[in-house]
Formats: sequence, structure tokens, C-alpha cells
Amino acid sequence: MRNAFSDAIVAAAKADPKVLLLTGDHGYALFDEFRRTCPDQFVNCGVAEQNMVGVAAGLAKAGLKPIVYGLACFVPIRTLEQIKLDVCYEELPVVFIGDGAGLVYSSLGSSHQSAEDIAALRAVPNIDILSPCDVHEMRYTLAHALRFERPVYVRMGKSDVGTVHAGPCAAPLGELLPVRTGGGTRDTAFIATGSMVRSAMDLAGSLEDNPVWSAPSIKPLHAGQIEALAREFDQLVVLEEHNRMGGLGGAVAEIVAGMRGPRAQVLRLGVDDRFSRFNGSWDYLRREHGIDPDALRARVLQSRSEGR
Amino acid sequence: MSQAFSATAIRRAVLSMAHAGATVHIACAFSLVEILAVLYRRHLRYPDNDPDGPLRDYLILSKGHGVMAQYACLREKGWIPQEALDRYFGDGTPLKGLSDAHVPGCEVTAGSLGHGLPVGVGMALAAKLAGTGQMCYAIVGDGEMNEGTMWEALLFAAHRRLDNLVVIVDENGFQAMGRTAEVMGLGSLRDKFSAFGFEAVDVDGHDEAALDGALDALRANRDGRPKALVARTVKGKGVSFMEDDNRWHYTRLNPETYAAAMAELEQA
Repeated sequence: MRNAFSDAIVAAAKADPKVLLLTGDHGYALFDEFRRTCPDQFVNCGVAEQNMVGVAAGLAKAGLKPIVYGLACFVPIRTLEQIKLDVCYEELPVVFIGDGAGLVYSSLGSSHQSAEDIAALRAVPNIDILSPCDVHEMRYTLAHALRFERPVYVRMGKSDVGTVHAGPCAAPLGELLPVRTGGGTRDTAFIATGSMVRSAMDLAGSLEDNPVWSAPSIKPLHAGQIEALAREFDQLVVLEEHNRMGGLGGAVAEIVAGMRGPRAQVLRLGVDDRFSRFNGSWDYLRREHGIDPDALRARVLQSRSEGR
Repeated sequence: MSQAFSATAIRRAVLSMAHAGATVHIACAFSLVEILAVLYRRHLRYPDNDPDGPLRDYLILSKGHGVMAQYACLREKGWIPQEALDRYFGDGTPLKGLSDAHVPGCEVTAGSLGHGLPVGVGMALAAKLAGTGQMCYAIVGDGEMNEGTMWEALLFAAHRRLDNLVVIVDENGFQAMGRTAEVMGLGSLRDKFSAFGFEAVDVDGHDEAALDGALDALRANRDGRPKALVARTVKGKGVSFMEDDNRWHYTRLNPETYAAAMAELEQA
């Protein structure tokens, strides 16, 4: 997945000298190939992320095509106002890459964990929020982002949980992609994004053979598709490595809340609305926040018993 | 025939706008009038008079609070109509109280301070990379130099050797709540710019000839160092009862103060 990211930006930079890669002094090994092949298009902006985003806006205004790379705790969180005002207000073609989103930087603590990036950006107009789950979705989301038509945020989370799709993805941006058809049960459908798509597939298989959709785009999000699922199923379970507030689960719940008539209950599963308490691995923190496989299964089963 | 971009005419236009719209920030606009006048009159190049032309020089009003003075210049450039000034601050009109990039001739959306300079640095870098010879002039406030992004931008500009960047500080000695020396002392800005690798000069920011000469000299010296012009100014300059009085950051005109101020400017 990370190799696919590197390959895509190297290819974009080789094809177009206007493509520039800006980093706030991060990406030590990740950008080796880029720096080797396109050294003049690599701009290390130093440990100064807010200036980096402003500079990217200025470059874009002058006709260049900047990719801004940072850890999600800095891009978009530390630089949120620059993204809003310098880039999104003018709808400039800047691509933001937020690496290590969610609980990836587990042992670095709350400074580097980032479970609020989707919620923060969702309320900013003019920016697409993409969250690939595997190598195929990485290529699919970057293919959109690297057209440089408008601001795009690509959320890079835990990247080594396995490949989900059998082959390349092709769908209009905003659509959910089916990743598990299920056995015809109509009680629960799963919708997940990023690292949690793999978890959703495992969970669905361990319950009643439920279907699973992946959401590589959180904004835009195809409301009609979600409404159809909410009419077809009794329950929509939404999974994400993000705070349960304001992320994909929030976006789905907002759509379903606007429907009239019979509709699915929405169960939002994600990171607790609190900072992590202890040091630990990614697996440990998933347990601490109740989004490890056993806890997820228990939460789904409990919600059903409460619903009946 | 009166001179193009006359400082007095700009101040009158600002006063009319502030009166029409019952707006604040009059003193913020008055301190940078000569800076804008000199830039628009002799330094900024807009091929085909196109505010969006790809080879234009860039004027960044990072200190967005002075935007009324820029609106007066943009009207003289022919990019916004007189009617927009006459109806300033009316509901549903395009000109806002702070610099807004959707207005022709305004490069940045500023007034949330510390935003314009980094964007201007990016534009200066783009011009350097493309080798077009475009200049970027960024007008910043001394109060704005409280913002950390300003210093990030200075480091970056010096590191990338952006000698096509001229940072012009409207050093009027005030920020929103009081004198800069009392709120967040800046010491010598010229020394600070020099320490950051800039070629830095300071001049009387209301002396048009001095500004003109300093800008010529800075632009001519393409030695790799970005440029800083610290313009010593007076907040509220041009109207005796507004000068060096921070209340005119906030005070709206009434019929009496408007008449008195306009009378002073008529005599200027």
C-alpha cells in the first residue's frame, strides 16, 4: 500500500514537472525513490507545517501542483486553518496526505495518534476526504487526487492489514464498494473504511454471513446508496479507526436520520471519545478502545439483543 | 492632472467607504496608504492590466485589516467599480472587511493573521522555479509578526533564496489591544530580519520618495537574500485626531468626525 503510494506520486511527478512534493521533514524512507528520480520536485519545508500549507497554496495559485505530506496529527490537524482558508476557500488543487491516521503511532502517544482528522475536515467545504483500505483503493483514490482538480485529503492509516479487493477499483467517487456479498441475510450490513474494512469482513463472516461495503470516499458520500441500504437492512454497522463522532459513522447516521419511514438502525463503532490511557501496540490500543475483533463482535451482538 | 494613486485621494476614498459602511479599521488602512500608492504607481507590473495574468507581480496584503486602502487602489486600476465602494459593507455586496482572494487584485484571504506571507512565499517560490522574474511584495503588520507562521515563512524564504520576495512591514507600533511594545515587544524588526538572512532596510513609511528608492534598491540587488522593508508608519496617518490613537482601530465615524476628517483631507 505504501509502495503503491510512492509509485503513484513518482509516476505523477515524472509525467508532469509541475507536480511538487512538500513534506514537513517526514517520510525518511518513504520518499527515497521520489528524491532519487525527481530531486528538483522535492521540497522539504522543515518542521514548519503551517507555513508548508501556505506555501502549497501559493504554489497552486501560481499554477503548480503540490502534494503536501505529513502525519495526520499535523496534516490536517495542526494545519486545519491553513487548509480551510489558504486552500479550500479558493478551491486550489492541493493534495494532502495524512499518514499514520488513527492509532498507527500507538506508542508515540496522544500527540501522534489521530482519531479526529475526518471529523475536523468534514465541516470544511470544498475538500474531498478519501480513506483507502488497501493497495487497490490507494491507487483508486490517488488516481482521483492526482488529477489536481480541487483540494483532496487522502487518509493513510494502518497499511499492512491485508488486501481487500481482488483487483483494481472502478466506480464514481463517493460510492461504496462491495467487498463481501454475504449469504442473503437482511439483518445487518457493514460499512467500513480504511483499516477497519478488513475487520468488518472478518466480523461479517463470523456472524450470519453479512455483506460488507468499503467506503474509500467519506466526502463525497453517495447518499442514495446509503439510503437504499438503510431500507434494505435492519441495521447498518459502521466501522472506522476514528472517533465515533463525526467520521464515517456520523456521515452515515446523518443521511439515515434524514429518511422517512422504516429505516435501519445505525451502529457506529470506532475509537472512544477519549484519549488513549496507556502506552501500547496498535493491537493493544484497539483493545483499549474496544475495536479489536472480539470487542467488535460483542458490541454488534449486544446491540442486537438490545434492539429486540 | 492629479497624480495616479495619490495618497490623499486614497485616504478620502477610505474615509468615504468607512462612512458609507459605518466600518472600523480606518486607522489600519491609513498607515499603509503611501506603501500601496508607491507600489501601484511604479512597482507592480500587471501585463495587459490583468489582475490574474500569469506573469503579474504579486501583491500580498497579509495585513488584511488595511484592505479599504487597497480597494481604493483596485478601483483606480479599474478592477472593481466605484459603485462597490459606494455601497461598501452593504448586505449582499462583494467587498468584505478583510482582504479576500475572491476580489480581483486581492491575492490572499487575510486578516486571520499569519496567512498571507506563507502564501506569498509559495508564489515567490513558484516564480523562482519557473524563472519568470516576477516579484512578490507582501505587506504585513508589525502586530502580525506575533504569529509563528511569519517566522516559519522567513526561515523558508531565506533557505530557498527567494530574492524576489519583498516583505514590507507596516510598522505602526500598534496592535489590536495596544502598543506592540506593551503587548508583545518585537525589538528591532530590521535586526530580526537581518538575523533571519534578509537584506533589511527601514524607511519613513509615509515618505513616498524614500519608499520608492528603497524598493528600487531592494529589487535591484538580486543576491539571493529575500528583502525586508520596515516602513515606520503612524496608525491613522493623515487625520490629526486619528494619528497614533488606537481607538481608530475600532471607532466608527459619525457625521461630525466624518466631516472633520474629510475637511482635513480636502486641505491636504
